[in-house]
Amino acid sequence: MPSILDPYCEHALTKVLSIKEEGDEVVAFTMGPPQASEALRRCLCLGADKAFLLSDRAFAGADTWATSRAVAAFVQRYGSDADLVVFGQKASDGETGQVPFEVAQMLSVQQFAYVKDMRRSGGSFVVAQDYGDSEVECEAPAGSVVAFSDVDPCGTLMSISDRLRGAQKPLETIDRVGLGLGLYSVGLKGSRTRIVRTGTNDVRRKNRKAVVGNPSRVAELLLEEMGARP
Amino acid sequence: MSGCSDGSCSSGSCTGGSCSDNPDRLPPGMLKRYDLNESTADGTLVWAETEDGKVTRNSAEIIAESSRISDGRVFVALFGGPEAKSLYPEIFGYGADTIYHVRGKATESYSPEVYAEALAQVAERVNPASVLIGASPRGRETAPRLAAMLGSGLTADCTGIAADGRRIVVTRPAFGGVLTADIECVGFPQMATIRQGVFPTPERREGQGTAIYWQYSGESRKKVLSVSRRSEKASDISDARVLIALGAGIRDRTIVDLAEEVASSVDGAMVCCSRALVERGWMPQSRQVGMTGRTVRPELYIAVGISGAVQHITGMSGANRVVAVNTDEKAPIHGYADLSIISDAEPALRELARLI
Repeated sequence: MPSILDPYCEHALTKVLSIKEEGDEVVAFTMGPPQASEALRRCLCLGADKAFLLSDRAFAGADTWATSRAVAAFVQRYGSDADLVVFGQKASDGETGQVPFEVAQMLSVQQFAYVKDMRRSGGSFVVAQDYGDSEVECEAPAGSVVAFSDVDPCGTLMSISDRLRGAQKPLETIDRVGLGLGLYSVGLKGSRTRIVRTGTNDVRRKNRKAVVGNPSRVAELLLEEMGARP
Repeated sequence: MSGCSDGSCSSGSCTGGSCSDNPDRLPPGMLKRYDLNESTADGTLVWAETEDGKVTRNSAEIIAESSRISDGRVFVALFGGPEAKSLYPEIFGYGADTIYHVRGKATESYSPEVYAEALAQVAERVNPASVLIGASPRGRETAPRLAAMLGSGLTADCTGIAADGRRIVVTRPAFGGVLTADIECVGFPQMATIRQGVFPTPERREGQGTAIYWQYSGESRKKVLSVSRRSEKASDISDARVLIALGAGIRDRTIVDLAEEVASSVDGAMVCCSRALVERGWMPQSRQVGMTGRTVRPELYIAVGISGAVQHITGMSGANRVVAVNTDEKAPIHGYADLSIISDAEPALRELARLI
């Protein structure tokens, strides 16, 4: 399976980089098989300073609990002084959107979901959240978990020099032992959910096809269906 | 077999009051089933989310389904001041046995940290076998935090639940909606978030039960600078009777306005779309049907220019009747439609707008 940087995370990273100031360090991390380092390399090219790949055979098969456990352990060990822990709202494939907030609880920090925008105000960060029915602006204290909800439809363009610089930056791999976690805290063994079976999503209907050339006839048919008369 | 004194051998004499023909090696008179490690968790806890002083449809659906699928008790956690008391009869009517009415200064406005902690306290008190929460923006944010507090497995965005006693198996789309996965939790409480529209909306009737005040004494540390409520109440596509769904096959942006025009003149009709149009910026995300959007079950679903990717089908397969308009005779949508009209959708919609 190819490994790409998730659009939600890419958007989150660009938002963070846009408010980066002199002296700030942006660290990118992910958990996954060795090929996930490609996604991290892209983060480095986009402007992150350092990257960590949490990778271990024992991490395989992790549900959101076991994933959060590893991520929380990483943040505690390698990023305990971080101003913010930033996530994309969800991964475009699994779409559970649970990991950021399980991590927030495991780290006992505040969480900010559906963040659209973030700015600096004095020494702290102000986030704008969109709950659909209301918009909330909050001050995010040091260490908070922030999850960005949008994607950038166009993505970010990189120049050759970005790529060259990104290739030089450090990318470190950390395994289970490096995180100080036991075998039963990670991966399939550490998961709190199990997939019992998979099936195909079959909701097929008895279909009747009609080839209609005349648009007004189609319109009539649709009107009939809607129960409205012209 | 000398030296075998622990009773696990197939032959031997009685030792220490337990007999070897008793496979459980229990002392005489002791109940056979007496396992202290067995969880006593039972029943279901549901967070009844409120919006503008009303129980959300999503929560109502979950409460009703919880009482339908299992004979365990249904506990409901409700946040709010004294005014929330007026919601009791409705919640009991959906099938709840006990309401835990959570009150406290910190719970007056929503914050995920406080709500998750209060829910965890209630969960600790009632010891439910499962905790079910609506997959609304707030539910999706609070549920993971609560799961981490309770040490529970949590399945997101379920599309179905099957109960076997107190154990539940939940179904959710996997691998981009191509497959469905049946998932169970390892321990108790089992947790899941469930989308609106997955279960039928229960009828409103009054009921009776036990209501308990739960005082939450924690404090909110959240520093909220400003809150702006959206004044215009966006109508919800999951309430629509007829949905006109537009997909990638629509090439002309004016068609979107035409469809809106048609919908506005048909009673209970709305326009929704597939992911493609949201990505093009032609329609807001709140109108998107499918895995990443809403789950809908209207009376009539008219899929116009929608090819029928599984991700989309997941969101609309509950519709009562499906009509597809598409030029492509081989598009997968036809397999999920009751009637397929093989025709160019754009002139047809223009004609329809003219007729109406």
